[in-house]
Amino acid sequence: MPARVIGFAVALSVALSVAGACAAQAAKGQAADGATLFKQNCSACHQAAGQGIPRSFPALAGNAFVQGDPKAVAFVLLNGRGGMPSFREDLSNDQIARVLTFVRSAWGNRAPPVTAAIVARAQGGIARRQDSPSVLPYH
Amino acid sequence: MPMSTNPDGSAFSRRMFLERLGGVGGTALLMAGMSALGFGIESAAAAPPAMSGGKGKKVIVLGTGVAGLTSAYELASAGYDVTVLEARDRVGGRSFSARKGTTLTEIGGETQVCDFDDGSYINAGPWRIPYFHRGYLHYAKKFHVPVELLNNDNDHSYINFEKGTGPLGGKIVRKQEVAADMRGYATEMLAKQVRQGALDAQFGAGDKELFLDYLRSEGYLTKGDFKYIGAEGRGPLINPGAGLDPGPGKDSEPYPLSDLLKSQTWRTLRSVSSLDQQRTMFEPVGGMDQLPAGFMRNMPPIVKLQHVVEKISQSPGKIEVFYTDGAGQKGSVSADYCVCTIPLSVLRGIDLQVSPKFKEAIGGVSYALVGKIGLQMKRRFWEDDHHIYGGHIYVDDPMIGTISLPSTGWLADKGVILGFYPHGAAAAKISAMSLAERKAYAIAAGQKVFPQYADNAEGSFSIAWHRVPHNMGGWAQWTEEGRAKYYPTLLEPDGRLYLAGEHLSYLTGWQEGGIESAWQQIAKLHKRAQAA
Repeated sequence: MPARVIGFAVALSVALSVAGACAAQAAKGQAADGATLFKQNCSACHQAAGQGIPRSFPALAGNAFVQGDPKAVAFVLLNGRGGMPSFREDLSNDQIARVLTFVRSAWGNRAPPVTAAIVARAQGGIARRQDSPSVLPYH
Repeated sequence: MPMSTNPDGSAFSRRMFLERLGGVGGTALLMAGMSALGFGIESAAAAPPAMSGGKGKKVIVLGTGVAGLTSAYELASAGYDVTVLEARDRVGGRSFSARKGTTLTEIGGETQVCDFDDGSYINAGPWRIPYFHRGYLHYAKKFHVPVELLNNDNDHSYINFEKGTGPLGGKIVRKQEVAADMRGYATEMLAKQVRQGALDAQFGAGDKELFLDYLRSEGYLTKGDFKYIGAEGRGPLINPGAGLDPGPGKDSEPYPLSDLLKSQTWRTLRSVSSLDQQRTMFEPVGGMDQLPAGFMRNMPPIVKLQHVVEKISQSPGKIEVFYTDGAGQKGSVSADYCVCTIPLSVLRGIDLQVSPKFKEAIGGVSYALVGKIGLQMKRRFWEDDHHIYGGHIYVDDPMIGTISLPSTGWLADKGVILGFYPHGAAAAKISAMSLAERKAYAIAAGQKVFPQYADNAEGSFSIAWHRVPHNMGGWAQWTEEGRAKYYPTLLEPDGRLYLAGEHLSYLTGWQEGGIESAWQQIAKLHKRAQAA
């Protein structure tokens, strides 16, 4: 079989399996655990082991703020801060609680878990406006 | 000279008009007036500062994005002794086109090699030039870099809004259908109210009839009774043609208003596009890297590639830049002045001998998370099968952002589609995926719109600018507080160090911001150097 046809078959099967996985995830709703949520949402910038990139993305491992007041940390996820976007539209309170609980106990971090109730109490800031309110591309 | 007359019958010449404009609004209004009257005088930001007499004073320019290239070109042309340091092994910065063999390793990511065919490319950073970005067009013209139209709005394109509800929810519709129907229903509804007299208080003498004329024209309403019954422009079921079959073709029927409203597809409609999205939009022929190439063709060989800046120190008489070069050797270069166009996201990690206030300001701006993917397709099914030539497919999955079709190589065999362009949290999520997962995600999204998408997808190239070394972000994102507190500080030099770039403009994320910032900053430098 020509390499290109194999390539398409692989691409299609990967596409279908990723689509399938996403659908399964959506169907399960909130079932993704904190580690998975971290990988999907946070690891691109904060890196796989929470080590961050100096002066660009803060390290989460050993981070005092991250292990401190849970409401304050939840506030950052809800509203963004500096270059960090708001995840209010992307993650439910329950998902925020799970990913924060994971981060606060991973890589040597030792801080109490976060509950969805705590995240709900952190609401009240104004999420930084998504850059473009319309769906049209900009730039 | 042709004369008009004032209401009192006196003669009124163009000159009188211009003189009055100047009297009221000074030079800016005078020039705007002259430009409007076709005198061809552009605004002050349309041309570089007139500079000469550099007398061999030394300037180091850091970075070869368009801000650095502009600075280096103009200063060298004015007689300054310019040296340019560029971190990468290529010029252009974000003005970057990925082609066959282009390599990129994002921080924390896999090494990627672009597997397009020869001749295919994706503009991985900026991709569009608005008509009023005169600095860009100035250099394109000067350096003979041809530009072509970029189709930024296509009536016949698709909208796929999966989050819509109702009978049209999640159905793929043509933009022209939505535009014709929404405007038809809106103007019909308003015309009914106007004709019933409900809005009489809004109108001055004669205006009500004119307003009704506008509504009828805008919405394609029927002549007598101002009804919307459809419009040719929404697209027929069968196009008219020859003979009796197809003959006159067959009209399509409007969607019910309630169905349209629930579908949310009307969110793609605006009366006019935002200014920087308006037709006419351009792209350089052959890729966004063509303008940097144009600069390089017109400059002496003053650029040192693979020189990564580590430290900048200043003393009363000079500024010194310390670097590590491609061979791992450390060195430095001294000069009278430095124009630094390194993005602030990177600059804050460099050892700078500047005031605490300046340093704080550099750290006071965040940079955008943004990603793109180019998908090479082996056949232009969007043209051949769907009759869509350029423009955007509108989607409401923020992880995709947009699917955009090429405005070059019309009717060719292959073409490169922009498969996603997410921002913010969505960009964080896409960029957490592996290269293969990103490609699969993009293909799955396009497959929902075009049944031919997956079968025809070949090579790909994806990028997440927030993870790209030497950039660490797509563009500067100023808050109101930052503009007030930090922006003015960075506009002024710190000692002999001048900053320039899109981050020092109100055109952040556009090449024009970098070019115009460079003009302003080198003008300041030149004025000071001349006086020194």
